[in-house]
Amino acid sequence: MNAIDPKQIHQTAEFKHERPLTTCRIDPSGKYVFAGAEDLNIYRWDMATGKKTTLSGHESWVRGLDFSADGAWLLSAGWDGRVGWWPVSDSEPAAARMIEAHDGWVRSVRSRADGKLIATCGNDNLVKIWDATQGKTIWELSGHQRHVYAVDFHPDGRFLASSDLMGVVKVWDLETGKETRTLDASVMTGYDKKFAADMGGARDMRFSADGNLLACAGITDVRNAFGGIQGALVLLLDWQSGKPLRQLKDGDYQGVGWGVRFHPAGFIVAAAAHRGGGGVLWFFQPDNEKPFHTFPLKACGRGLDTSPDRKTLATAQADGYLRLYQMVAQT
Amino acid sequence: MKRNRGCNGLDHVLSRRGFTVGGMGAALALPSLAATAPNSDLRRGHKRILQIYLQGGVSQFESWDPKPGTLYGGPFRAIDTSVPGMQICELLPHTAQRMHHLSIVRSVNLKTNDHGVGRKIMERGRRQEGYPYIGAVGAKYFTPAGNPLPGYIHISTRGLTDDTDAFLGPRYAQLRLEGVKPPENITRLPTVSLGSFRRRNRFRLRLNQRAARRGQRASTDLYNGSFEQAQQLMSRRSLFEKEPPPRDLQRYGRHFFARNCIFARNLLEQGVTCVKVTHHGYDTHAENFNFHLEQLGEFDQPFATLLDDLHERGLLESTLVVVMSEFGRTPKINRMYGRDHWGASLSVALGGCGIKPGMVVGKTNDQGTEVADREVDGGHLFHTYFQALGLDTTRPHEKPGNPIPIGDPAMTSIDELLA
Repeated sequence: MNAIDPKQIHQTAEFKHERPLTTCRIDPSGKYVFAGAEDLNIYRWDMATGKKTTLSGHESWVRGLDFSADGAWLLSAGWDGRVGWWPVSDSEPAAARMIEAHDGWVRSVRSRADGKLIATCGNDNLVKIWDATQGKTIWELSGHQRHVYAVDFHPDGRFLASSDLMGVVKVWDLETGKETRTLDASVMTGYDKKFAADMGGARDMRFSADGNLLACAGITDVRNAFGGIQGALVLLLDWQSGKPLRQLKDGDYQGVGWGVRFHPAGFIVAAAAHRGGGGVLWFFQPDNEKPFHTFPLKACGRGLDTSPDRKTLATAQADGYLRLYQMVAQT
Repeated sequence: MKRNRGCNGLDHVLSRRGFTVGGMGAALALPSLAATAPNSDLRRGHKRILQIYLQGGVSQFESWDPKPGTLYGGPFRAIDTSVPGMQICELLPHTAQRMHHLSIVRSVNLKTNDHGVGRKIMERGRRQEGYPYIGAVGAKYFTPAGNPLPGYIHISTRGLTDDTDAFLGPRYAQLRLEGVKPPENITRLPTVSLGSFRRRNRFRLRLNQRAARRGQRASTDLYNGSFEQAQQLMSRRSLFEKEPPPRDLQRYGRHFFARNCIFARNLLEQGVTCVKVTHHGYDTHAENFNFHLEQLGEFDQPFATLLDDLHERGLLESTLVVVMSEFGRTPKINRMYGRDHWGASLSVALGGCGIKPGMVVGKTNDQGTEVADREVDGGHLFHTYFQALGLDTTRPHEKPGNPIPIGDPAMTSIDELLA
């Protein structure tokens, strides 16, 4: 009766903010959901009561969130170039540490499972590895030629993947601080000839738990980047071969894939925003390019996360709502 | 005012009237002359115009009128400039340090959200059809007699539906170059003898005369004007043939817009009266912030360096510099992180000849949704540009027949900007 079944997905709660949301994460205890917004704050909702708390300290929008390995700290990546450490459970969380991490936006922050390292990336084309407890730089990894959009640690803890605007995914050995290889995600970028500009990059990037797959959410088939006319995509890369494995998409769905997660039940869930409004949650099997189930969202999906018990999905949406869904049968 | 979310495809269609040198099909043999020293007219008061056109509609929030932390302010911060109390968007750090050369008008209301209409108002200073563009007016009234170069050169990688000269005549129409590229098919082919070439040219002229006798004057005038301008330009063929010095590439950058700015500087130095450089890619209905990062990141350093060079070479005091778009972008951020068309409250930056530097004229309200003080139109700006250059825009054009005022009689110059 409580088995996870994506086809049973239904909304269980929604929390309203007055500005569009940009991203969201559920904390490892499963008590809170945090979101960034088109303002200078981070917002925390108690998922049981809906109580909202404001975390102030950034000077720009926040689009990257993660948690320390012990779940005690929220890490925030701000477009003010700063990374913040926030106590997750304090009644009125204040930033315990705020570091100048990058010159330009910090686009992504990730914590390693052993709790020792944090990775960030940003518009200075750099990837940085930080001591998680001291907030000191360990490695400053250069090599990307364009803005770096996303980072994620491989589950083995030794390697880090970083993806940039041009769909270049670099793999870094964290024992040596050296780039070891480059994976090709160039299908996720496009040059708009009319406007003479590039568009692309992974808006979210996750390894599977076994480390065999890397999923990148974003775009493909750029036709008019300035009008948002391009396909929404989740690209699967094979870690062993380093080759693109599969393009997960739903026909000619025009928009952007903003979030992706591997689910322990074996499927992949992605959140996308349609250029005409609205959004979807897609459920894919890793070996099939088409979703086996699509769930419509009330507004553009801009961020996605799963709860610790993996039954709940949270989405940050462009209409300002943080919406929660359960992937089990309604009771 | 309703937002306009889309773009009219026709606006991006190549114009037949907007002459492109690269599209010429004729063969002309011209001597290759070395570039001369900067034109001595500089010292005799030859006034010039440098127009930077940010095509598609640059966001005022992400450029000259930032509103950080407000409802529609977006993610970027405001930074201090070289003018105490004046802030602009953090996307323009190099330009910020040159704002003592420039002033900002933050209160432009064009009352249109249409690309073509906005462009024409900003270029003509009028809403009606049939009036010449800024560059054409500048070419007519500021190009010294006998100047060996075209009066109005537009460096752009794309064509737009522009009838730039109107009644002034094709001699003053824009000569559009697709970047730092020499006009195609302008030199005599090796397979064509000089005698054959001359016979072809005489034949072409006879055909033009015949067409003119049949009442097809306008098209032949345009065609002849095009040839004349191309011929003039090729007298400075070395402008195209030399790679910019490494120091210039280091200072400006190596991308297209940087090279176009170096080219613009060289053209102004050589004596071209009006140089317009179009930088494309601001029509950001989706991903406004990523694209402004990219586009203004490309614009900022070359433009700032160009200002430096004009200043250091003594050209800025005789050159009007204007940075404009056909409109701005909506305060409201749409669901694609885009901003749509917005003509109700935009900004223009200007400086150089006849303009008081370091001023901010007009303002928008706290959320940037409307002009709050000193509302102006493209017509006011048009008067201001030319009054700054010393042209009385209340007088009629030099045109036989019905007198046509140079500027819209319903509008005046922004006098507080005039030095």
